[in-house]
Amino acid sequence: MAMLEVKDLQVSYGAIAAVRGVSFDLNQGEIIALIGANGAGKSTILRTISGLVKSKSGSIRFADKELTKTPAHKIVALGIAHVPEGRHVFSGLTVLENLKLGATLQNDEARKEENLKRVFSMFPRLEERITQKAGTLSGGEQQMLALGRAIMTDGKLMLLDEPSMGLAPIIVEEIFENILRINKNGTSILLIEQNANLALAVSSRAYVLENGIITIEGDSKELLVDERVKNAYLGA
Amino acid sequence: MTTFLQFLVYGVQLGSVYALLALGYSMVYGIVRMINMAHGDFLMIGALSAIFIAMGFSGFMVDGRYPFYIVLAIILSAMILTGLLGVLVEKIAYKPLRDRPRMSSLITAVGVSMFLQNFPRALPFIGPQPRPFPQLFPLIQFRLGGVVVTSTQIILIVVSIILMISLDAIVQKTKFGAQIRAVSFDKDASLLMGIDTNRVISYTFLIGAVLAAASGIFYASIYPQVDVYMGSWLGTKSFIAAVIGGIGSIRGAILGGFILGITEILATSINSNLGYGIGFVILIVILLIKPAGILGKTEIDKV
Ligand SMILES: Nc1ncnc2c1ncn2[C@@H]1O[C@H](COP(=O)(O)OP(=O)(O)O)[C@@H](O)[C@H]1O
Ligand SMILES: [Mg+2]
Repeated sequence: MAMLEVKDLQVSYGAIAAVRGVSFDLNQGEIIALIGANGAGKSTILRTISGLVKSKSGSIRFADKELTKTPAHKIVALGIAHVPEGRHVFSGLTVLENLKLGATLQNDEARKEENLKRVFSMFPRLEERITQKAGTLSGGEQQMLALGRAIMTDGKLMLLDEPSMGLAPIIVEEIFENILRINKNGTSILLIEQNANLALAVSSRAYVLENGIITIEGDSKELLVDERVKNAYLGA
Repeated sequence: MTTFLQFLVYGVQLGSVYALLALGYSMVYGIVRMINMAHGDFLMIGALSAIFIAMGFSGFMVDGRYPFYIVLAIILSAMILTGLLGVLVEKIAYKPLRDRPRMSSLITAVGVSMFLQNFPRALPFIGPQPRPFPQLFPLIQFRLGGVVVTSTQIILIVVSIILMISLDAIVQKTKFGAQIRAVSFDKDASLLMGIDTNRVISYTFLIGAVLAAASGIFYASIYPQVDVYMGSWLGTKSFIAAVIGGIGSIRGAILGGFILGITEILATSINSNLGYGIGFVILIVILLIKPAGILGKTEIDKV
């Protein structure tokens, strides 16, 4: 049975219909990708899953619980970690404070320490900068911090919204290596990327979103050679 | 010189009242980006409720004075009562408008302020006339050189400073304080950390109103008259203090409160009209030099 199951999801901002009947699912341990042009509705889908935006209709089931009526901070408790577009680190707080806020709901001190060690082993640069204000970090470091914070929430599913945005290729590589490590450690991943090549390379399945509707879906390997995808998203 | 020091004592005393009240303006602004125009009225509610609670405790008086533990009970219950009112006001009046344009909550706050002033005024047992405030603190005079300091002044100043240092420590050092700061920076990201942002906002209003009640009780202990409008002009001045210090900043509110209190007293000693206007003069000068206030940075350190 799927870990996450989205069915006929519709989301509007006032009169703007951003998501117009989207269905997809994700299995335990999988990385799936959601690709599509700017404004297609990708971020809106993630924001609705994590409860920041309310759906108009449809359902989102995660580990057998309905999320559409659940408040955002309770969805985190169910095991969904969302790394938002633009990173959204707490700029005036230190790196360590940011990471500890990720563990807001963690009552197991030993587990918290263990997760902190995991974060520092993935991103040694964060450990070197624990007392630095997050707002003074470089873009790449902020993305690492945003991922680190999500690891601290101890989620079973991670929603990643354009983790490569605005970063140099070498940093993107470092970040994606660690995303794969997070997945190997047992966390399922729903990945949004503008960089469709990258998204299809790391995911097992993918969905293409256009104007709030899924138009193409399939195994990532197949989509990499699909003419429609190649023309529209892979710059071939 | 001794006259100057004497006025300085009065200035610090008034400054601690302004600072305690300014903290609430600053914290609420920091966390929900709204100016709570009704905040000053919590000061009045605090003082007024202390009067009635003290009346209820009058049976405990010994030789016409309240014993220490009764004074503590009166102050704490007035603070808690006012704090709960602060939470209630946020829940009923402000929360439903949180995602609406700023103007809506501003107007609502003005309405809440009018209500808080006029509702007690209309109650037959309160009414519009000023009421005397009971003497809660001992009034022993000390002479240091030529300067006279009373035990009331010492208690008020020391307790205010303890309250301010505790608040600063809570916000800077505790897990809950980190949550307050997180919500003030980014509400959505806070939700994604599992923080119950509504709860954090409620607590912020609670803390603000509790401190306002303390400042009301302290102010009324120096100038022992309470009327329903006292929160309005003390609130305006404390709001100015918060802006001078940098609204959103806790240390800024404290600094602004003391700057305003001290200069106001010193200016009044020269000319009483000067005293009333000095706050605006400082405000304008500071804002010309530092538009975000003395300690107000664009974002960092804000609550
Ligand atoms: N807060 C908002 N208010 C109004 N419209 C929005 C808001 N956020 C997104 N939209 C609109 O919804 C659509 C989908 O946006 P989004 O989900 O951010 O797309 P993507 O992440 O694929 O670029 C766009 O048309 C966008 O303009
Ligand atoms: Mg987006």
